[in-house]
Amino acid sequence: MVSTVLNTDVKQKDADHAVVIAVTSRAVFGSGADDDEVYGEGLAFPLLQALQRVNEHLLMNNPAELLLFDIVLLTTDSQQQQQSPRIISSTRHYGLEVGRFCFSSEEDFVENLLKNNVQLFLSTDRNEASQATQRGVLSALLDHQTASCPSEQLKVLFFGDAVIQPDTGPTPPSRQAARSFSAQLGEMQRRFTMSDSPLSIGLVTWRGGRDSCADALHTLRSRGVRVDEAYCLAEAPWGPILSVFRPHFLLSDGFGGLEG
Amino acid sequence: MSEIKDSSAKAEESRTEKDWKEAKAAFDNLKSTKPRPPKPQNAVTIAVSSRTLFSMVWERKVFKEEGVEKYVAHHMDHEDEPLKPGAAFPFVKALMNVNSRLRELYPDSEELFDIVLMTNNHAQVGVRLINSINHYDLAIERFCMTGGQSPIGYLKAYMTNLYLSTDSKKVKEAIEEGIAAATMFLPEKEIALSDTQLKVAFDGDAVLFSDESEIIVKQHGLDALFEHEKQFENKPLAQGPLKCFLEALGKLQRKFYAKNERLNCPIRTYLVTARSAASSGARVLKTLRSWGLEIDEALFLAGAPKGPLLLKIRPHIFFDDQMFHIEGAKEMGTISAHVPYGIGQKYNKSKLIEQPEQPAKKESPKKI
Repeated sequence: MVSTVLNTDVKQKDADHAVVIAVTSRAVFGSGADDDEVYGEGLAFPLLQALQRVNEHLLMNNPAELLLFDIVLLTTDSQQQQQSPRIISSTRHYGLEVGRFCFSSEEDFVENLLKNNVQLFLSTDRNEASQATQRGVLSALLDHQTASCPSEQLKVLFFGDAVIQPDTGPTPPSRQAARSFSAQLGEMQRRFTMSDSPLSIGLVTWRGGRDSCADALHTLRSRGVRVDEAYCLAEAPWGPILSVFRPHFLLSDGFGGLEG
Repeated sequence: MSEIKDSSAKAEESRTEKDWKEAKAAFDNLKSTKPRPPKPQNAVTIAVSSRTLFSMVWERKVFKEEGVEKYVAHHMDHEDEPLKPGAAFPFVKALMNVNSRLRELYPDSEELFDIVLMTNNHAQVGVRLINSINHYDLAIERFCMTGGQSPIGYLKAYMTNLYLSTDSKKVKEAIEEGIAAATMFLPEKEIALSDTQLKVAFDGDAVLFSDESEIIVKQHGLDALFEHEKQFENKPLAQGPLKCFLEALGKLQRKFYAKNERLNCPIRTYLVTARSAASSGARVLKTLRSWGLEIDEALFLAGAPKGPLLLKIRPHIFFDDQMFHIEGAKEMGTISAHVPYGIGQKYNKSKLIEQPEQPAKKESPKKI
């Protein structure tokens, strides 16, 4: 069963211009004890706050701004569906800028994503992210190394190897979704100067050397994305670099599941 | 209906063309004749900042006078113009030469120099940096362009053996984190350097060794030091910030010796110290020996200026902890790198530099 509940605490965003990001409630809230009314803060809590800060800055610059993040809190299984009142009350308790709540089961959560015109789906569950990608929804996997970074800025990292990967056939829908999402990020970025941006866009390339990274920089530039930080690893180990950069999420064209 | 089909066919065609170009680029990349960079744990990693690798004096002026946006825009406007070589450029070329020689003798080994560009610059400036690296065909495949964030974490992530920058704050921070580092200065003249042998010159105290002896000199003078050192000849000195870098160089040198290339070794190291051979020299040599380290030439100046001797050596880089030695070397054309470590930082020649009054302190700072 699929249902959508609007959060009346929050002003609804303009559907034509907002960038819809769905995050699973499991990622945002930690487990609370049964008799507590309110959930604890989960892995993706800092990520949500960073998204909110971007909105705040956008509105500060232009109170009539329509290009904002529209955050949807998604439950993806029947068990969680039963917790819906608590999910809603916890959201209100923390004053999170969630526009609406979507409740569904394992079988139909992707339908929910498509129905709600979700442009980016963030989950801690690899299976969920994979399913969404297969249906053409841009997804990113959240884990302890990402998401929970308490940075003031929203830090997005593009995985450059995927950015310049040649297609073997027609462009997959998830890749198209990635391109349009990145173009929107680029648009948001242009609202700010380099020194006062609440959004930081990074690029990391692993395969190849400096030329691969240069190509990825050019490709992103052509999509209107201004990369702030670039890391060319030339096959050096990921982990140490990622643990310094601490992005909130990592984007590749399609599903960004980076092993190791 | 047909119009829609035509335009979609055209779009398909241009997409296919683009995809083909991308595929070719990826394939060419894979077939690149460039050697693969070694894994950081096997390599001697040298991190250089953009301003040590290239001279960006004019651009720096734009940054200071007009701010970061104009600075980045300036670079983007001149993206295809290569930057001029900076202080670390000859050093980098010399490292590349050592790598070629090592690859000839040990084709499968990853014990090589790995040069990483470690810059605070914005990634948009990075495009010009990459273009410049391409122009000079430098062997730099790894970089971090941190867009203003501190490089220290990344230095550690790359297991950096030596960090060179023009920013003394960052260099100090690196040293405090246990990473060998030095602030580079562009020499005032250009002199010819060897292109077959990497030459690295080190000061002794507070560079290879701790500043314990430096403290004695500052407090009691050079003669007192010489006496003290004679007394403690057999007690090894403690390590200084660049000891591990000398060690790394020694390890690579031994690879050449193992193949009978001692006379033709493309790395040569020098100790250039104010110590006197007669009195305080022994302790230094014994300390090196106790560490299992060799230095090719030890030059004891007994207090004489270092400039003229360095001119004879012509190192690709000269490390010293005292700014007046750096200034002297610079004037005569030696590429110098200041190691901001130890008691020498509080003095100018032998005078204690007056520290500005700290507003919160109630008592006046103690003077040694």
